[in-house]
Amino acid sequence: MLEQLLSHLGFYIPEVLLIILMCSLLFIEAGYGSREKGRVMVYYAAFAGLFLTAIMLCLNFGHDSMYLFSNAIVIDKFGTLAKLIMVVGTAATFIISLMVTDFERELKPEFLIMGVGVLIGGMLLVSANNFLTLYLGIETLSILSYVMASFKRSDSRSSEAGIKYLLYGGVTAGIMLFGLSHLYGVIGSIQFTEVFTVLKTVEGTKLASVLAGFLLFFVGIGYKISCFPFHMWTPDVYEGSPISVTTFFSIVPKIAGLSALIRITSIFFASNNELSEFWVLFIHLIAVATMTVGNVSAIKQVSMKRMLAFSSIGHVGFMLLGIVVIDTVGYGAILFYLLTYVFMTLVAFYITAILEDYYGTDTMASFKGLVKKHPWLAIIMSCTLFSLAGMPPFSGFVAKFNLLSAIIDKGYFSLAFIAAINSVIALYYYVMVTKYMILGDVEFSEKAKTVNFNNQLIISFLFFPIVFLGIFWEKVYTLAQNATIFLP
Amino acid sequence: MHGLLNWILWLPIIGMVVLLCLPKGKDQAVRVTALVTTLLTFLLTLVLYMNFDTTIPGMQEQFSIKYQWIKFFNIHYSLGVDGISLPMIILTGLLFFICILSSWTITKYVKAYFALLLMLESSVFGVFMALDFFLFYVYWEVMLLPMFFLIGIWGGENREYAAIKFFLYTFFGSIVMLVGIIALYYATGKGVDSFNILALQGGHFVENTISVFGSTFSFERIFFWAMFLGFAIKVPSFPFHTWLPHAHVQAPTAVSVILAGVLLKMGTYGFLRIAFPIFPSAAVEYSTVIAILGVVSVLYGAFCAMAQADVKKLVAYSSVSHMGFVMLGLASMTTAGMNGAVLQMFNHGTSTAMMFLMIGVLYERSHHRWIVRPDGTKGYGGLYAHMPKYTTIFIIGMFASLGLPGLSGFISEALIFLGIFKKFTTITVIAVLGLLIGAAYLLWMFKRMFFGEAVEEVKSYTDMNAREIFYMIPLCVAVIVFGIYPSPLLNMMKESVGSLVSLLGSFQ
Repeated sequence: MLEQLLSHLGFYIPEVLLIILMCSLLFIEAGYGSREKGRVMVYYAAFAGLFLTAIMLCLNFGHDSMYLFSNAIVIDKFGTLAKLIMVVGTAATFIISLMVTDFERELKPEFLIMGVGVLIGGMLLVSANNFLTLYLGIETLSILSYVMASFKRSDSRSSEAGIKYLLYGGVTAGIMLFGLSHLYGVIGSIQFTEVFTVLKTVEGTKLASVLAGFLLFFVGIGYKISCFPFHMWTPDVYEGSPISVTTFFSIVPKIAGLSALIRITSIFFASNNELSEFWVLFIHLIAVATMTVGNVSAIKQVSMKRMLAFSSIGHVGFMLLGIVVIDTVGYGAILFYLLTYVFMTLVAFYITAILEDYYGTDTMASFKGLVKKHPWLAIIMSCTLFSLAGMPPFSGFVAKFNLLSAIIDKGYFSLAFIAAINSVIALYYYVMVTKYMILGDVEFSEKAKTVNFNNQLIISFLFFPIVFLGIFWEKVYTLAQNATIFLP
Repeated sequence: MHGLLNWILWLPIIGMVVLLCLPKGKDQAVRVTALVTTLLTFLLTLVLYMNFDTTIPGMQEQFSIKYQWIKFFNIHYSLGVDGISLPMIILTGLLFFICILSSWTITKYVKAYFALLLMLESSVFGVFMALDFFLFYVYWEVMLLPMFFLIGIWGGENREYAAIKFFLYTFFGSIVMLVGIIALYYATGKGVDSFNILALQGGHFVENTISVFGSTFSFERIFFWAMFLGFAIKVPSFPFHTWLPHAHVQAPTAVSVILAGVLLKMGTYGFLRIAFPIFPSAAVEYSTVIAILGVVSVLYGAFCAMAQADVKKLVAYSSVSHMGFVMLGLASMTTAGMNGAVLQMFNHGTSTAMMFLMIGVLYERSHHRWIVRPDGTKGYGGLYAHMPKYTTIFIIGMFASLGLPGLSGFISEALIFLGIFKKFTTITVIAVLGLLIGAAYLLWMFKRMFFGEAVEEVKSYTDMNAREIFYMIPLCVAVIVFGIYPSPLLNMMKESVGSLVSLLGSFQ
């Protein structure tokens, strides 16, 4: 038994590495006290650790899919790719937190420690193979997030964000647990493999309570990916949290939650027709409502962070379309979308963060006439926004194209038309920002500050994939399509 | 000659990169680079014309280029040229060269302006050359970005509104078209040719059905209208024309010229290349609707033009009216009508470009465009006495635009009426009224601006300088030569249009 566990540990190296990293970051920080040198060391260690983890994850691609630790964990290509995207996103957020002064420097190492913790939770969630691991993943992810949201201790909005996140999270987690207990009551197991076998034959009243269980379960996941009607916390938390934390929130929990939802859907709802029909209809409605609510609410926002929060809700709605098809093509398209979305989010938030640093606010006002103050930032920001709206030749277009083609393949034309109209609404509010940045004639009284060269360099690096994946997307797309889920 | 299309397509981009690498403050060098680039591109389009074999109708047979781009979806980088796209390519080459010359006086962000113009030129070529539907869509969309900034940064007072309206309208049309493109891909079974525009042509989708919002429709009809919407917004046909007057009035001169001269033609080109040949039976079925939209555009555009006090807006509405004639020619689906439509696309490109350029020349002197100012006083008056050269060239452009026999507009409109008369007699009779109103508003505008007592400030205007006359000459020549001797153009398009007409004929 012990031998088996140890041999399984070999496939679990990325997560183990992260746990070691988290502990060592704690020790480094404690060891150096609050001195500047300690902070630098923590950053070095974190980047090195994440880099190692990414390499280990790449190595994992070579292995066959398998169950670990008495079926509690599953390792497959899909999960590995999702984890890889999360690690890259986390590393980039750490860079942002290093470069901007969104909260006290003394707390920066703590952000890293907790970030790594959230990442561990996210990875657990992605590779969960029973309901208990899944719940554990969500909770690990959430509890640290609550603290991260209120990092900016001097700002009451930050504390408000933390409390809001906590209250919402607590309630939804409770509802989710309630749903899971229902499922356990009906099915008699928490292992995905066993649940899968039972679900094939479930019908009648049992089916109804299974459905109720899954709907309650969806509350927890829906809260994590902030889809309608569990999206209300998103704008407040995004606005209140320090900006590097916001960036982190729009990457790691989203990828983890969506991946878990995809796994659940592909395991449970591809086998039983009655159940799957209902689930598809449900996700269908949620997707339409989510993208419409997100996009329409984003129109009138003044704060850039709030606008990006609502637009992220719109994007989640779009990604849910890939789940509707219940097909690997759709899941691959979502992974590709997530990958491009990570880079677009990073660039958009990074530039907002720099401007917030310089001008003390993230409202549209700080974007006015940006092209005169910082032409390079203005150009990159508007290209990124066009990419978010789905304009070629940027990768956002390719991502949308892939998702649309997945749903049109299954004949969901009405859904495709709704998505198309949503894209136009989204373009409107993105273009409005571009208007502020580039079109308007603005005279400045104060002299423009120069953006430090490193910032421009990092932004350009993060921007590069947005263009590259818009033209040469075949390799990455094929990789995403081949990242299959290990089905029982 | 292999690779000629690649050169035409990418030369502007090369020029753009060179121009962006020039050091700061070298505005003159930037202008010269742009000029040389567009001149070379134009010469290359002429080389293309010389080597073009007019007896071949297809688009794949000459100069075609094909590389695999995305294997997963069978997307190719594939270019071609035929008798319908060649006139458009030459027109694009010519107009961009002229536009660079006419933009010599731009002083705001010179580098960005010329870079965006070159980027726009490349993407317009891409639309006219693309044989792959995905590639077509990419170019169709990429074109919006430079256009948005050109209107939005260098435009008039209300430019932001105009730029955003233009952007959203066109984006809406094209994203609906995207759904159609993907649907076609799956309807043909994701094969090697599923994004190949030519392979999709021929009416393979008559039997297919789709279900939208719970009811079943004919695949062909739904997606004919999806494509129609995308193209009709671009044309623009009534009732999708509302973005055009704003965009035109606010855009700087060169951008207006490009917009009216080339971009509007992309809409009708879309009908000829995509909507009609891919969905021939729906096109035949709804030809009456297209004709009615065409005639409404003709009359509505003409009446709106008559009511304008701003001369640029007047010409903008006259574009709506003239593009309505193209729609009529398309709806006729006869050889004469179709040829007339393609010819009108070219001729309208040259004549309307003249009009916009002339207005631009005047605007640089007067800094307003009022025929009648809002307070009721005259804006100009008596221009003929103070600007004789200007008046001469203006007369040529104006008469070409109103369709005077002997100038280019007449021939294409005559051909269109010839082609459509039998099929839609009533509509033809009504549409002829459009010509009359066209003559009325143009001559009335001419009377108010050029004759009569001169306003005080008109007396200080200088006549056209050598640069301005130089770039008007090719257009004057085109307008006069193709008015007397249109055969080179007609020969060029004859075979390609003929094969389209016979395809549509087999569904009638």
